[in-house]
Amino acid sequence: MDETPLIRRFLPYLYWLIGLFLVYFVVNALIAPYASGITLSVQIVIRRLIEIGGFLLAIFAGLAIIEVYFYQIFFRQPRTILTAWIVRILQGVFAGMGLLMVLAFFERTDLFRLQEGLLRSILYFPNTLVDGLRSTLMGIGLTKDSSGWMSGVVLIVIFAGLFFLNHQLTVPRSSKLGMAYLLVLPAFIGVLVLIIYPFLFEIKLAFSNASLGTQATKNAQYGLIYGWNNLVTLFTGTVAKDATFFEVLGRTVLWTVINVVFHVSGGMALALLLHRPMKLQGFYRTLLVFPWAVPTTIVAMALRNEFDSRYGLFNILLSNLNSWLVDVSQGMVSVPVLGEMFAWLAAHIGPVSWRQDPFWAFVSVLITNIWLGIPFMMVIILGGLQSISHEYYEAAEIDGASKFQQFRHITLPLLRPVLTPAVILGVVWTFNKFDVIYLITQGGPQEKTDILVSSMYKAAFSFYRYGFTAMFALVIFVILLAFALVYLRVSGGLKSVTE
Amino acid sequence: MTSTRFSSLRRALRWFFVRSRGDSPFKTLLIHLALIGASIIAVYPVLRVVTISLRPNDALLTTDLRIIPQNATLDNYRTVLFGDPTKNRQSDFFLWLWNSFSVVAVTSIISVILAAVSAYAFSRFRFPGRSAGLVFLLTTQMIPAGMLLLPLFIMLAQLRMINTSLGLIIAYSVSSVPLTIWTLKGYYDTIPIDLEEAALIDGATRFTVFTKIILPLSSPALAIAFLFSFMGGWSEYLVARVVLQKNDLYTWPLGIFTYAQQFTVAWGQFAAASVMIAVPVMVLFLYSSKWLISGLTLGSVKG
Amino acid sequence: MASVTYRNVVKKFGDVVAVDNISFHVEDKEFLVLVGPSGCGKTTALRLLAGLEEVTSGEILIGDRVVNDVPPKDRDIAMVFQSYALYPHMSVFDNMAFGLKLRKMPKEEIKRRVYEAAEILGITNLLNRKPRQLSGGQRQRVAVGRAIVREPKVFLFDEPLSNLDAKLRVQMRAELAKLHQRLQTTFMYVTHDQVEAMTMATRIAVINSGRLQQIDTPQNLYDHPANLFVAGFIGSPAMNFFAGALHMADGKLVVETDDFVLPIPAERAVQYQKYAGRKIVFGIRPENIHDVHFIPPNIHGERVNVKVDVTELMGNEIFLYLVSGKNSFVARVDPRCRLRVGDQAQVVFDMDKFHIFDAQTEEALR
Repeated sequence: MDETPLIRRFLPYLYWLIGLFLVYFVVNALIAPYASGITLSVQIVIRRLIEIGGFLLAIFAGLAIIEVYFYQIFFRQPRTILTAWIVRILQGVFAGMGLLMVLAFFERTDLFRLQEGLLRSILYFPNTLVDGLRSTLMGIGLTKDSSGWMSGVVLIVIFAGLFFLNHQLTVPRSSKLGMAYLLVLPAFIGVLVLIIYPFLFEIKLAFSNASLGTQATKNAQYGLIYGWNNLVTLFTGTVAKDATFFEVLGRTVLWTVINVVFHVSGGMALALLLHRPMKLQGFYRTLLVFPWAVPTTIVAMALRNEFDSRYGLFNILLSNLNSWLVDVSQGMVSVPVLGEMFAWLAAHIGPVSWRQDPFWAFVSVLITNIWLGIPFMMVIILGGLQSISHEYYEAAEIDGASKFQQFRHITLPLLRPVLTPAVILGVVWTFNKFDVIYLITQGGPQEKTDILVSSMYKAAFSFYRYGFTAMFALVIFVILLAFALVYLRVSGGLKSVTE
Repeated sequence: MTSTRFSSLRRALRWFFVRSRGDSPFKTLLIHLALIGASIIAVYPVLRVVTISLRPNDALLTTDLRIIPQNATLDNYRTVLFGDPTKNRQSDFFLWLWNSFSVVAVTSIISVILAAVSAYAFSRFRFPGRSAGLVFLLTTQMIPAGMLLLPLFIMLAQLRMINTSLGLIIAYSVSSVPLTIWTLKGYYDTIPIDLEEAALIDGATRFTVFTKIILPLSSPALAIAFLFSFMGGWSEYLVARVVLQKNDLYTWPLGIFTYAQQFTVAWGQFAAASVMIAVPVMVLFLYSSKWLISGLTLGSVKG
Repeated sequence: MASVTYRNVVKKFGDVVAVDNISFHVEDKEFLVLVGPSGCGKTTALRLLAGLEEVTSGEILIGDRVVNDVPPKDRDIAMVFQSYALYPHMSVFDNMAFGLKLRKMPKEEIKRRVYEAAEILGITNLLNRKPRQLSGGQRQRVAVGRAIVREPKVFLFDEPLSNLDAKLRVQMRAELAKLHQRLQTTFMYVTHDQVEAMTMATRIAVINSGRLQQIDTPQNLYDHPANLFVAGFIGSPAMNFFAGALHMADGKLVVETDDFVLPIPAERAVQYQKYAGRKIVFGIRPENIHDVHFIPPNIHGERVNVKVDVTELMGNEIFLYLVSGKNSFVARVDPRCRLRVGDQAQVVFDMDKFHIFDAQTEEALR
């Protein structure tokens, strides 16, 4: 039907291909003199592409198989009683195999443990089948990698055949909800594997004594008593190595409150300054969102060195300020009050030890996080301000409201729908955000700058207290959940979310 | 003469002082000064990184505050990019970038594909479990990133996926998938349902409606969701540190942290690497910030 | 080419009954307009026919086929939406060709049909544009064109003109009527605007709160409204209503309201004799109330004392807003009328053209 020649239709793709090759050769030629100094090579790229490609194929093939299976359940029905038997048995076997594979996955990840024996071999029956297929393929001369690929292909062919058989034995039927469930299914499986399962696993872990000594879950013991012990340790012992739970909790609250207050007030101030007709507005705006635009990791690592006692930016500035104050106070030594004041300032303002002094260490992470977070709030508030109609202000002005009254009675109330969720999210994010702390102070000195989540991270990955960390995580989760519930109560439920 | 000169000066001043009603020139000046001050605070620390990257190796430890240092040099950049032949050291910079890119791109692809499909169901169908699902997805945004890391880490360890990029892909998908579903659901909600009904009457099946109407219409949103997810994982450090322990798998945040750990020669190289990574990211960010913000307001603030 | 039949159709959304037991039959090639106030269920009734909603009970037939379980794509219908619902990512040509492409029609045939339809609607020069580059009227035409190319059995229109400005609406009204003449197909058209209904329809179905009130030709609907709702809904300005009762006085049948008594002419009194003593609503259209100086010849006029409240000059006529005791009503009188605001005057009711409704059931008394 289509009269455009094949070559014409594929021309764009051809151009792309040629372009890519050209780029490759040019870059290769440019880099050639330095190639010996670069560890990345074409082999590495290709190896990674094959690895990831196989992974993606496996995921999508698996999802496709499950989708087709449910499609046939929702949208096909057997023709006759006889075919009904065949179809249902086929589907039953499929579901049984699937269930076994899921259970085997649980077993393998140590959610539960089976002794060697009949039960275990039943559980691993599907896996044994696949392994058998693979070793057969290796037997006929395939390598380890390609046998993996081939067995995948063989499996897909088998499933395709079964589905085709099923298709032949059934007739279509309509289903109102089938479509919706088929669409949600892939994400549902994803969430099940990525979130729900780990969460259940964490609950189990919380009631264990798993640690480095037990080789994680390998020799771990489970029981309510371990959960109780973990809980007791959490509230009475140390959360990581030095600090106690309530000390860290207090600091977390402080961390969250200070950050959010500064983010909102700073963002509000800047947004109010920007929200007016003026020159260079876009320019200022661009400059002001810089802290948000730079990757956090880079900022944190860069500022980490700027807090160095001698060569860091902050102490350079402070020592410059100090010497200026010293100069001034010496010049003014004869002036009565001012002289004394500058002398006092010169004596008290100067370089501080950001790394060793717990107070200043905490200030250093606060400064960084506040600096990072203001642009986000500024942009959100600016958006809110721009959505407020100018007529309200004109009406208020005619009514004789002062600038402050306008802010108090128009801007603030009308910003609420934007501000409230932003503040709530800000609180949750800040509560959970510890990359700045971890990268700048690593919680030090003596865990005096740790917040709950960073303590938890360290308990797990620096001190390997796995069972304890799981319980710790659950407690943090409960705290956040309580906060969320209060918020939902205050904001009037979830109606707005689900509509 | 003087009057014309005076008026041109006045014109120049007026250009600068476009005033909102009632603001005196003095106030306008103050506002500009405040904004300039804030801009300096916002930009100077970033500029410092550029400065340090340009410093020659023998002048790293200095209390100099100039933006372009004395004897500025690009040596650090060369070392980061191509290694240091004199000391027989190779550069891992491109390897790190490739590691990061491959992991984050695949995470984003998976999230966008899963989300494109399921967000459509959440936006258009009313099925039992819908609101529970949405609330659940919202709740996942409240879970601390580190909270599921431990069980995930142990799971991955059992499956022998620690120290593989696949493990990191899985770990990143945990936060990326729900967020992407939310973003896309918000966008789908804005597509008028009339279009779908028109297509249904025109002879389309539900499936054709999705592929021929919804997907083409939401291609910008898909791109933004991809960008969102990509930005979320691109500079991630804490999870990567746990999952990857082998040098040749390091993503760039892990990589440049090896530079940043000491206050030595490597500081300059850290700065150079940071600049080279941050500049494209920032350009992309500033270019796409309009959409990022609308996405944020759609996806999060609305919730 | 097909007839459409609604048989006891009910549609519920949860507890809300949107369409309440509607039955009617639309002949082949008819232009049926469903009209009613917003939220009355007329659009739902149309969407049921399109297959965009499922009926709760009852049957809908296109031709002789029950289509209750037929998906929209197989019903052989085309629909024009209020929002036009043009696919924003497709050119005008692709918009019109979309349905045909989905049906795997040969390319040549698609091209022929699209160009033919574009010719009819005068949009041939727009075929390569995207919808966002079109004006409201042009979009409207494309939406109609998209329906035409399909050559469906039934055309459905869901308030297609409500997004156009007044002038364009009048123009499109005429064009749609012409299109119906030309295509000789069944049209089902939903609107809340009774003027649209009156000007285009071969028959009108008036719907209120989910129920079919009356289905008839425009003229019959206007002259013989079946109930109070139809009488009030059709016609602009709306019919005047006076609560009152029928009485026998001095051997003559009279309508007695709070403020005046009107004798019914002998030839019509026969018809209403049997209702004497009943509480009724007396209805008369504004154009049947005249200024005393300009009474048309040969009518049974009855004088009523009024005070003029507001006057609206329309150029070719004058609307008088009148007050008589507790009743206020409108008269549409000759433009030469000299009455001004505040005047005490007399107007004449044309007693050959009134309507009487039962006060209880609101049905017309005949």
